[in-house]
Amino acid sequence: MTHSLHRKGIEKDLKKDYVVLAMLAAGFNDKYDDSRQKLIKIGEILKNHNPVNIMPEIGWRTSPTVTATFNNIKTVKKIIRILKKEDLGLSIVISGLISEIEKVVKEVDLGVHTIHFSLGNTFGRRELLPQEKILEITTMCGHHTVSSQSITHYLELIKQGKLTVEKAAKKLTKPCVCGIFNTSRAIQILNTLVKD
Amino acid sequence: MDIKTDVCNGCGQCVIVCPVQAIRMVDNKAVIDEELCVECSVCYRDANCPVNAIRMKRLKWPRVIRVPFSNVIATHKVTGVPGRGTEEMKTNDVTNRFNIGEIGVSIELGRPGIGTHLENIELFTTRLSKIGVTYEEKSPVTALMVDDKGHINEEIKEQRVLSAIIEFKIPDKKLPQILEVIRKVDKEIDTVFSVGIVSRIKDNNTKEIMNRVSQLGFQVRPNAKINIGLGRP
Repeated sequence: MTHSLHRKGIEKDLKKDYVVLAMLAAGFNDKYDDSRQKLIKIGEILKNHNPVNIMPEIGWRTSPTVTATFNNIKTVKKIIRILKKEDLGLSIVISGLISEIEKVVKEVDLGVHTIHFSLGNTFGRRELLPQEKILEITTMCGHHTVSSQSITHYLELIKQGKLTVEKAAKKLTKPCVCGIFNTSRAIQILNTLVKD
Repeated sequence: MDIKTDVCNGCGQCVIVCPVQAIRMVDNKAVIDEELCVECSVCYRDANCPVNAIRMKRLKWPRVIRVPFSNVIATHKVTGVPGRGTEEMKTNDVTNRFNIGEIGVSIELGRPGIGTHLENIELFTTRLSKIGVTYEEKSPVTALMVDDKGHINEEIKEQRVLSAIIEFKIPDKKLPQILEVIRKVDKEIDTVFSVGIVSRIKDNNTKEIMNRVSQLGFQVRPNAKINIGLGRP
Protein backbone atom coordinates (compact mmCIF):
# COMPACT_ATOMS: atom_id res chain seq x y z
CA MET A 1 0.00 0.00 0.00
CA THR A 2 1.23 3.46 -0.84
CA HIS A 3 -0.85 4.66 2.15
CA SER A 4 -0.09 8.34 2.68
CA LEU A 5 1.96 9.06 -0.45
CA HIS A 6 -0.47 11.03 -2.58
CA ARG A 7 -2.02 13.31 0.06
CA LYS A 8 -3.00 16.64 -1.49
CA GLY A 9 -2.72 20.08 0.08
CA ILE A 10 -0.58 23.17 0.32
CA GLU A 11 2.50 23.32 2.57
CA LYS A 12 0.77 25.45 5.22
CA ASP A 13 -1.89 22.77 5.74
CA LEU A 14 0.51 19.85 5.48
CA LYS A 15 2.43 21.25 8.45
CA LYS A 16 -0.43 19.81 10.52
CA ASP A 17 -0.45 16.36 8.95
CA TYR A 18 2.05 13.59 9.71
CA VAL A 19 1.62 9.83 9.59
CA VAL A 20 3.91 7.50 11.52
CA LEU A 21 4.07 3.87 10.36
CA ALA A 22 5.92 0.89 11.81
CA MET A 23 6.18 -2.31 9.84
CA LEU A 24 7.39 -5.88 10.26
CA ALA A 25 9.45 -6.93 7.23
CA ALA A 26 8.14 -10.30 6.04
CA GLY A 27 10.78 -13.02 6.17
CA PHE A 28 13.03 -10.87 8.36
CA ASN A 29 11.49 -9.30 11.47
CA ASP A 30 8.54 -11.68 11.63
CA LYS A 31 10.73 -14.76 12.08
CA TYR A 32 11.45 -13.69 15.66
CA ASP A 33 8.97 -14.61 18.40
CA ASP A 34 8.98 -11.16 19.98
CA SER A 35 8.34 -9.16 16.79
CA ARG A 36 4.59 -8.86 17.40
CA GLN A 37 5.22 -7.60 20.92
CA LYS A 38 7.60 -4.98 19.50
CA LEU A 39 4.95 -3.79 17.05
CA ILE A 40 2.39 -3.58 19.84
CA LYS A 41 4.87 -1.62 21.96
CA ILE A 42 5.23 0.91 19.14
CA GLY A 43 1.45 1.10 18.91
CA GLU A 44 1.32 1.95 22.62
CA ILE A 45 4.00 4.64 22.21
CA LEU A 46 2.01 6.21 19.37
CA LYS A 47 -1.23 6.00 21.35
CA ASN A 48 0.39 7.73 24.33
CA HIS A 49 1.27 10.78 22.22
CA ASN A 50 -2.22 12.04 21.54
CA PRO A 51 -2.67 11.07 17.88
CA VAL A 52 -5.55 12.60 15.95
CA ASN A 53 -6.20 9.11 14.59
CA ILE A 54 -4.70 5.67 15.11
CA MET A 55 -5.16 2.17 13.72
CA PRO A 56 -7.50 0.15 15.98
CA GLU A 57 -5.61 -2.17 18.35
CA ILE A 58 -6.91 -5.27 16.58
CA GLY A 59 -4.77 -4.13 13.62
CA TRP A 60 -1.60 -4.01 15.73
CA ARG A 61 -2.21 -7.62 16.70
CA THR A 62 -3.11 -9.00 13.27
CA SER A 63 -1.50 -6.90 10.51
CA PRO A 64 2.20 -6.29 9.83
CA THR A 65 1.80 -2.54 10.45
CA VAL A 66 0.75 0.00 13.00
CA THR A 67 -0.07 3.55 11.92
CA ALA A 68 -1.07 6.79 13.61
CA THR A 69 -1.63 10.39 12.54
CA PHE A 70 -0.40 13.53 14.27
CA ASN A 71 -1.09 17.22 13.74
CA ASN A 72 2.34 18.59 14.66
CA ILE A 73 5.97 17.79 13.96
CA LYS A 74 7.07 18.38 17.59
CA THR A 75 5.19 15.28 18.71
CA VAL A 76 6.62 13.30 15.82
CA LYS A 77 10.11 14.36 16.91
CA LYS A 78 9.43 13.15 20.47
CA ILE A 79 8.22 9.81 19.10
CA ILE A 80 11.27 9.38 16.86
CA ARG A 81 13.54 10.10 19.83
CA ILE A 82 11.78 7.44 21.92
CA LEU A 83 11.83 4.89 19.10
CA LYS A 84 15.55 5.48 18.59
CA LYS A 85 16.19 4.92 22.29
CA GLU A 86 14.01 1.78 22.38
CA ASP A 87 15.97 0.38 19.40
CA LEU A 88 13.31 -2.20 18.50
CA GLY A 89 14.74 -2.85 15.02
CA LEU A 90 11.46 -2.38 13.12
CA SER A 91 11.15 -0.09 10.12
CA ILE A 92 9.69 3.35 10.79
CA VAL A 93 8.31 5.55 8.02
CA ILE A 94 7.28 9.16 8.58
CA SER A 95 4.98 10.74 6.04
CA GLY A 96 4.57 14.48 5.67
CA LEU A 97 6.45 17.61 4.65
CA ILE A 98 9.92 16.56 3.51
CA SER A 99 11.66 19.70 4.83
CA GLU A 100 10.16 19.30 8.32
CA ILE A 101 10.89 15.58 8.58
CA GLU A 102 14.48 16.02 7.39
CA LYS A 103 15.00 18.70 10.03
CA VAL A 104 13.76 16.64 12.99
CA VAL A 105 15.48 13.46 11.83
CA LYS A 106 18.77 15.37 11.75
CA GLU A 107 18.08 16.86 15.20
CA VAL A 108 17.74 13.40 16.74
CA ASP A 109 20.90 12.29 14.96
CA LEU A 110 19.28 9.98 12.45
CA GLY A 111 19.15 10.18 8.67
CA VAL A 112 16.93 9.66 5.66
CA HIS A 113 17.37 6.07 4.54
CA THR A 114 14.89 5.92 1.66
CA ILE A 115 12.38 8.38 0.22
CA HIS A 116 9.14 7.76 -1.69
CA PHE A 117 7.78 10.95 -3.23
CA SER A 118 4.81 11.70 -5.43
CA LEU A 119 4.98 13.34 -8.84
CA GLY A 120 2.92 16.51 -8.38
CA ASN A 121 0.03 16.08 -10.76
CA THR A 122 -2.54 13.39 -11.07
CA PHE A 123 -2.18 12.01 -14.60
CA GLY A 124 -4.71 10.90 -17.21
CA ARG A 125 -8.32 12.10 -17.24
CA ARG A 126 -8.11 14.76 -14.54
CA GLU A 127 -11.52 16.11 -15.60
CA LEU A 128 -13.06 13.11 -13.80
CA LEU A 129 -11.78 14.32 -10.44
CA PRO A 130 -13.73 16.36 -7.90
CA GLN A 131 -12.48 19.81 -6.89
CA GLU A 132 -9.08 20.08 -5.19
CA LYS A 133 -10.42 20.79 -1.67
CA ILE A 134 -12.55 17.64 -1.81
CA LEU A 135 -9.46 15.70 -2.94
CA GLU A 136 -7.54 17.08 0.04
CA ILE A 137 -10.01 15.19 2.21
CA THR A 138 -10.45 11.98 0.17
CA THR A 139 -6.70 11.47 -0.35
CA MET A 140 -6.18 11.35 3.42
CA CYS A 141 -7.38 7.74 3.16
CA GLY A 142 -4.66 5.89 1.26
CA HIS A 143 -7.06 3.19 0.12
CA HIS A 144 -9.56 5.79 -1.05
CA THR A 145 -12.49 4.49 0.96
CA VAL A 146 -13.77 8.02 1.66
CA SER A 147 -16.25 9.00 -1.05
CA SER A 148 -16.40 12.50 -2.53
CA GLN A 149 -20.20 12.51 -2.49
CA SER A 150 -20.22 11.84 1.25
CA ILE A 151 -18.32 15.11 1.67
CA THR A 152 -20.74 17.09 -0.49
CA HIS A 153 -23.68 15.47 1.31
CA TYR A 154 -22.33 16.30 4.77
CA LEU A 155 -21.51 19.86 3.65
CA GLU A 156 -25.13 20.32 2.68
CA LEU A 157 -26.27 19.02 6.10
CA ILE A 158 -23.78 21.35 7.84
CA LYS A 159 -25.13 24.33 5.89
CA GLN A 160 -28.68 23.33 6.89
CA GLY A 161 -27.63 23.17 10.54
CA LYS A 162 -28.40 19.44 10.72
CA LEU A 163 -24.79 18.30 11.31
CA THR A 164 -21.75 19.86 12.96
CA VAL A 165 -18.40 20.05 11.19
CA GLU A 166 -16.88 17.91 13.96
CA LYS A 167 -19.47 15.15 13.53
CA ALA A 168 -19.07 15.24 9.76
CA ALA A 169 -15.30 14.82 10.13
CA LYS A 170 -15.87 11.88 12.47
CA LYS A 171 -18.18 10.23 9.92
CA LEU A 172 -15.59 10.74 7.18
CA THR A 173 -12.91 9.17 9.37
CA LYS A 174 -14.83 5.92 9.85
CA PRO A 175 -14.11 4.12 6.52
CA CYS A 176 -10.32 4.58 6.92
CA VAL A 177 -9.39 1.45 8.85
CA CYS A 178 -5.65 2.22 8.88
CA GLY A 179 -6.01 5.28 11.11
CA ILE A 180 -4.24 7.66 8.73
CA PHE A 181 -7.22 9.94 8.00
CA ASN A 182 -6.44 13.22 9.74
CA THR A 183 -9.68 14.15 11.49
CA SER A 184 -8.51 17.57 12.70
CA ARG A 185 -7.32 18.53 9.21
CA ALA A 186 -10.68 17.38 7.81
CA ILE A 187 -12.42 19.77 10.24
CA GLN A 188 -10.25 22.60 8.98
CA ILE A 189 -10.96 21.82 5.30
CA LEU A 190 -14.70 21.37 5.91
CA ASN A 191 -14.80 24.78 7.61
CA THR A 192 -13.19 26.30 4.51
CA LEU A 193 -15.64 24.53 2.20
CA VAL A 194 -18.65 25.63 4.25
CA LYS A 195 -17.62 29.27 3.82
CA ASP A 196 -17.25 28.90 0.01
CA MET B 1 -21.99 -6.72 -3.23
CA ASP B 2 -25.72 -7.20 -3.20
CA ILE B 3 -28.59 -5.07 -1.92
CA LYS B 4 -31.85 -6.86 -1.23
CA THR B 5 -34.38 -4.49 -2.78
CA ASP B 6 -37.26 -6.16 -0.98
CA VAL B 7 -35.57 -5.31 2.33
CA CYS B 8 -34.15 -1.82 1.44
CA ASN B 9 -36.01 1.06 3.11
CA GLY B 10 -34.59 3.68 0.74
CA CYS B 11 -32.58 5.65 3.30
CA GLY B 12 -29.74 6.20 0.78
CA GLN B 13 -26.84 5.87 3.24
CA CYS B 14 -25.10 3.34 0.97
CA VAL B 15 -25.35 5.76 -1.98
CA ILE B 16 -23.49 8.38 0.05
CA VAL B 17 -20.56 6.21 1.19
CA CYS B 18 -19.86 4.34 -2.08
CA PRO B 19 -16.36 5.50 -3.19
CA VAL B 20 -17.06 4.84 -6.90
CA GLN B 21 -20.68 6.00 -7.12
CA ALA B 22 -21.89 2.55 -8.10
CA ILE B 23 -25.14 2.74 -6.08
CA ARG B 24 -28.17 4.79 -7.13
CA MET B 25 -31.77 5.10 -6.05
CA VAL B 26 -34.40 3.56 -8.35
CA ASP B 27 -38.05 3.77 -7.24
CA ASN B 28 -36.84 4.64 -3.73
CA LYS B 29 -34.68 1.51 -3.52
CA ALA B 30 -30.87 1.34 -3.61
CA VAL B 31 -29.56 -0.50 -6.66
CA ILE B 32 -25.95 -1.52 -7.37
CA ASP B 33 -24.51 -1.09 -10.86
CA GLU B 34 -22.63 -4.40 -11.17
CA GLU B 35 -20.20 -3.00 -13.75
CA LEU B 36 -19.23 0.05 -11.67
CA CYS B 37 -19.06 -1.80 -8.33
CA VAL B 38 -15.45 -2.66 -7.45
CA GLU B 39 -16.35 -4.96 -4.50
CA CYS B 40 -14.66 -2.72 -1.93
CA SER B 41 -17.33 -3.50 0.73
CA VAL B 42 -17.37 0.07 2.03
CA CYS B 43 -21.19 0.08 1.77
CA TYR B 44 -21.35 -3.15 3.80
CA ARG B 45 -19.00 -1.84 6.50
CA ASP B 46 -19.86 1.86 6.73
CA ALA B 47 -23.37 2.61 5.50
CA ASN B 48 -24.88 1.40 8.79
CA CYS B 49 -27.78 -0.01 6.80
CA PRO B 50 -30.69 0.13 9.29
CA VAL B 51 -32.41 -2.92 7.79
CA ASN B 52 -29.34 -5.06 6.92
CA ALA B 53 -30.18 -5.06 3.23
CA ILE B 54 -26.52 -5.07 2.10
CA ARG B 55 -24.96 -8.51 1.67
CA MET B 56 -21.57 -9.79 0.61
CA LYS B 57 -21.98 -12.20 -2.29
CA ARG B 58 -19.83 -15.27 -2.85
CA LEU B 59 -18.01 -14.13 -5.98
CA LYS B 60 -16.90 -16.34 -8.84
CA TRP B 61 -13.86 -16.05 -11.10
CA PRO B 62 -13.04 -13.63 -12.68
CA ARG B 63 -15.16 -11.13 -10.70
CA VAL B 64 -13.52 -12.20 -7.44
CA ILE B 65 -10.26 -10.57 -8.63
CA ARG B 66 -11.87 -7.18 -7.85
CA VAL B 67 -11.65 -7.84 -4.11
CA PRO B 68 -7.88 -7.69 -3.41
CA PHE B 69 -7.59 -4.54 -5.56
CA SER B 70 -10.46 -2.75 -3.85
CA ASN B 71 -11.22 -4.07 -0.37
CA VAL B 72 -8.76 -2.72 2.21
CA ILE B 73 -9.57 -5.56 4.61
CA ALA B 74 -8.65 -8.25 2.06
CA THR B 75 -5.13 -9.64 2.24
CA HIS B 76 -3.78 -10.69 -1.16
CA LYS B 77 -2.42 -14.25 -1.16
CA VAL B 78 0.78 -13.10 -2.92
CA THR B 79 1.67 -10.11 -0.74
CA GLY B 80 0.46 -11.27 2.65
CA VAL B 81 -0.23 -7.58 3.29
CA PRO B 82 -3.70 -6.04 3.66
CA GLY B 83 -4.41 -3.62 0.83
CA ARG B 84 -3.26 -3.66 -2.78
CA GLY B 85 0.41 -2.72 -2.45
CA THR B 86 3.51 -4.32 -0.98
CA GLU B 87 6.09 -3.45 1.65
CA GLU B 88 7.99 -1.50 -1.06
CA MET B 89 10.28 1.13 0.56
CA LYS B 90 8.60 0.91 3.94
CA THR B 91 10.96 -1.85 5.04
CA ASN B 92 13.88 -0.96 2.76
CA ASP B 93 16.23 -0.48 5.71
CA VAL B 94 15.70 -4.19 6.45
CA THR B 95 15.24 -5.73 2.99
CA ASN B 96 17.51 -3.55 0.81
CA ARG B 97 14.92 -3.95 -1.93
CA PHE B 98 16.15 -0.66 -3.41
CA ASN B 99 19.89 -0.01 -3.39
CA ILE B 100 22.01 3.01 -4.27
CA GLY B 101 21.89 3.42 -8.07
CA GLU B 102 18.39 1.94 -8.35
CA ILE B 103 15.06 3.72 -8.57
CA GLY B 104 11.71 2.29 -7.57
CA VAL B 105 8.52 3.35 -9.31
CA SER B 106 4.90 2.92 -8.24
CA ILE B 107 2.18 3.70 -10.77
CA GLU B 108 -1.27 3.52 -9.21
CA LEU B 109 -4.01 3.27 -11.81
CA GLY B 110 -7.45 4.58 -10.86
CA ARG B 111 -6.12 6.71 -8.02
CA PRO B 112 -7.44 8.97 -6.64
CA GLY B 113 -10.91 7.53 -6.34
CA ILE B 114 -11.94 6.95 -9.96
CA GLY B 115 -11.13 3.26 -10.37
CA THR B 116 -9.80 1.42 -13.40
CA HIS B 117 -10.34 -1.58 -15.60
CA LEU B 118 -7.45 -4.01 -15.22
CA GLU B 119 -6.80 -3.90 -18.98
CA ASN B 120 -5.25 -0.44 -18.46
CA ILE B 121 -2.29 -2.14 -16.78
CA GLU B 122 -1.04 -3.24 -20.21
CA LEU B 123 -0.81 0.36 -21.43
CA PHE B 124 2.18 0.55 -19.11
CA THR B 125 3.51 -2.96 -18.77
CA THR B 126 3.86 -3.75 -22.48
CA ARG B 127 6.02 -0.62 -22.82
CA LEU B 128 7.89 -1.06 -19.55
CA SER B 129 8.79 -4.65 -20.42
CA LYS B 130 10.41 -3.47 -23.69
CA ILE B 131 12.55 -1.03 -21.71
CA GLY B 132 13.46 -3.75 -19.23
CA VAL B 133 12.28 -3.28 -15.67
CA THR B 134 12.30 -5.55 -12.64
CA TYR B 135 8.73 -5.98 -11.47
CA GLU B 136 8.11 -6.41 -7.75
CA GLU B 137 7.57 -10.14 -7.36
CA LYS B 138 5.09 -9.76 -4.51
CA SER B 139 2.89 -7.19 -6.23
CA PRO B 140 -0.68 -8.35 -7.00
CA VAL B 141 -0.29 -6.72 -10.44
CA THR B 142 2.83 -8.75 -11.23
CA ALA B 143 0.86 -11.88 -10.34
CA LEU B 144 -1.57 -11.03 -13.18
CA MET B 145 1.15 -11.09 -15.84
CA VAL B 146 1.29 -14.13 -18.12
CA ASP B 147 4.51 -13.46 -20.06
CA ASP B 148 7.66 -11.37 -20.04
CA LYS B 149 6.17 -8.90 -22.52
CA GLY B 150 3.88 -7.37 -19.90
CA HIS B 151 0.62 -9.00 -21.02
CA ILE B 152 -1.90 -9.85 -18.33
CA ASN B 153 -4.44 -12.64 -18.03
CA GLU B 154 -7.13 -12.11 -20.71
CA GLU B 155 -9.86 -13.40 -18.40
CA ILE B 156 -9.58 -10.51 -15.95
CA LYS B 157 -9.03 -7.54 -18.27
CA GLU B 158 -12.62 -6.28 -18.14
CA GLN B 159 -12.74 -6.35 -14.33
CA ARG B 160 -12.99 -2.97 -12.65
CA VAL B 161 -11.12 -2.22 -9.43
CA LEU B 162 -10.59 0.73 -7.09
CA SER B 163 -6.90 0.89 -7.97
CA ALA B 164 -4.01 -1.28 -9.13
CA ILE B 165 -0.37 -0.49 -8.40
CA ILE B 166 2.37 -1.40 -10.89
CA GLU B 167 5.56 -1.65 -8.83
CA PHE B 168 9.02 -2.09 -10.32
CA LYS B 169 12.62 -0.96 -10.09
CA ILE B 170 15.13 0.18 -12.68
CA PRO B 171 18.76 1.18 -12.87
CA ASP B 172 18.99 4.92 -12.30
CA LYS B 173 19.92 5.64 -15.95
CA LYS B 174 16.55 4.37 -17.25
CA LEU B 175 14.51 7.02 -15.42
CA PRO B 176 14.04 9.28 -18.52
CA GLN B 177 12.61 6.34 -20.50
CA ILE B 178 10.13 5.55 -17.74
CA LEU B 179 8.98 9.15 -17.49
CA GLU B 180 8.47 9.14 -21.26
CA VAL B 181 6.10 6.16 -20.90
CA ILE B 182 4.17 8.13 -18.26
CA ARG B 183 3.85 11.06 -20.68
CA LYS B 184 2.49 8.79 -23.43
CA VAL B 185 -0.04 6.94 -21.27
CA ASP B 186 -1.17 10.27 -19.77
CA LYS B 187 -2.73 11.07 -23.16
CA GLU B 188 -4.19 7.61 -23.88
CA ILE B 189 -5.72 6.26 -20.68
CA ASP B 190 -9.45 6.47 -19.87
CA THR B 191 -8.92 6.97 -16.14
CA VAL B 192 -6.51 8.73 -13.77
CA PHE B 193 -3.26 7.53 -12.26
CA SER B 194 -0.72 8.69 -9.67
CA VAL B 195 3.03 8.08 -9.72
CA GLY B 196 5.57 7.66 -6.93
CA ILE B 197 9.37 7.53 -7.12
CA VAL B 198 11.49 5.61 -4.59
CA SER B 199 15.15 6.36 -4.00
CA ARG B 200 17.68 5.09 -1.48
CA ILE B 201 19.33 8.23 -0.10
CA LYS B 202 23.07 8.74 0.24
CA ASP B 203 24.47 11.28 2.72
CA ASN B 204 20.97 12.60 3.51
CA ASN B 205 20.83 14.26 0.10
CA THR B 206 17.17 14.03 -0.92
CA LYS B 207 17.51 16.99 -3.27
CA GLU B 208 19.53 15.08 -5.86
CA ILE B 209 16.75 12.73 -6.99
CA MET B 210 14.01 15.34 -6.66
CA ASN B 211 15.96 17.89 -8.70
CA ARG B 212 16.60 15.26 -11.34
CA VAL B 213 12.90 14.47 -11.68
CA SER B 214 12.13 18.23 -11.85
CA GLN B 215 14.74 18.71 -14.57
CA LEU B 216 13.04 15.97 -16.57
CA GLY B 217 9.87 18.09 -16.55
CA PHE B 218 7.82 16.64 -13.68
CA GLN B 219 6.57 18.39 -10.55
CA VAL B 220 7.50 16.97 -7.17
CA ARG B 221 5.17 17.28 -4.19
CA PRO B 222 6.52 18.81 -0.93
CA ASN B 223 5.35 15.82 1.12
CA ALA B 224 6.67 12.28 0.96
CA LYS B 225 7.17 9.04 2.85
CA ILE B 226 10.55 8.83 4.56
CA ASN B 227 12.08 5.66 5.97
CA ILE B 228 14.33 6.84 8.82
CA GLY B 229 16.54 3.77 8.96
CA LEU B 230 15.64 2.26 12.35
CA GLY B 231 14.92 -1.21 10.99
CA ARG B 232 17.35 -4.10 10.88
CA PRO B 233 17.17 -7.74 9.73
